[in-house]
Amino acid sequence: MRVSAASAEQAADGVLGTVRVEVEEARILASLADQLQALLADALETGTERDGALGRLLPDAYRHDPELADEWRQLSRRGLVDRKIGFARTLSTALAPIAAASAAADVALTEAEALDWVRGVGDLRLVIAERMGIIVDGDEGTFAEPGLRDVYDWLAWLQDSLVRLLEESDDARRAAEAR
Amino acid sequence: MRSLVAPVAPVAVVSPGAPRGEARRDTGEQTGGLLLEQPLHAADVPWQVVVWNDPVNLMSYVAWVFRRHFGLDAGTAEQRMMQVHTDGRAVLADGNREVMERHAEAMHEYGLWATVERVPR
Repeated sequence: MRVSAASAEQAADGVLGTVRVEVEEARILASLADQLQALLADALETGTERDGALGRLLPDAYRHDPELADEWRQLSRRGLVDRKIGFARTLSTALAPIAAASAAADVALTEAEALDWVRGVGDLRLVIAERMGIIVDGDEGTFAEPGLRDVYDWLAWLQDSLVRLLEESDDARRAAEAR
Repeated sequence: MRSLVAPVAPVAVVSPGAPRGEARRDTGEQTGGLLLEQPLHAADVPWQVVVWNDPVNLMSYVAWVFRRHFGLDAGTAEQRMMQVHTDGRAVLADGNREVMERHAEAMHEYGLWATVERVPR
């Protein structure tokens, strides 16, 4: 995988950058994004108590006031879950064709798509961390299968690259506004 | 569903002066206290949004979220992120409860762990 800033020509079309995705990478990430959507849909049916990963994706907004926490959940949960499913769906939609293809391909990301990617990838890291038993800073995880650890680190690299892409575009916008 | 006027301790300025009936004949100075007697509206009660440390989110990501969502400059965003990292939490905004809830929801959208709490008196 390789993340590059958009060329001047692409930028004129509203493209922020491109991600070069290998077939195998597309398969893994698309599968994870599909699983994330299913997991989030479960949260609406069963709540977040039964799965620690859902507790990380959808934490309570009030720590010491169960009544306010409950009220806030009722008001915000559905919308939040729908938006998070949307982030994951943006990943699946872009990656499914590459996963089914025989060669690597470039995915061009607009700002809106990059925002979905950076948050969808972040949500995947939250879930994987919970599955690995990562609880405190610097934790290597109790149940870390080597493969899962690699995916977790790979997603960290991808998220960091996307942050840099978005940051550069924010900086460019701020500079333009200051002029 | 949401009560706009939360049951909070009213902050009232009460004049120790004469009872209402007599106040009419009093000078403005004495009735002034009564006119100020207003329960504090829930919208004025300060709340804050707190972001908590977690072992998953990247430091670069958290600082970027603070910049992007709260409009902080790079240095302040970095400083708040380090505060989350070292102290375990940082206050990112304060104001009325509804606005703080919107911030918390946005933080959850970014995968950050945020809560709303009353500003300690």
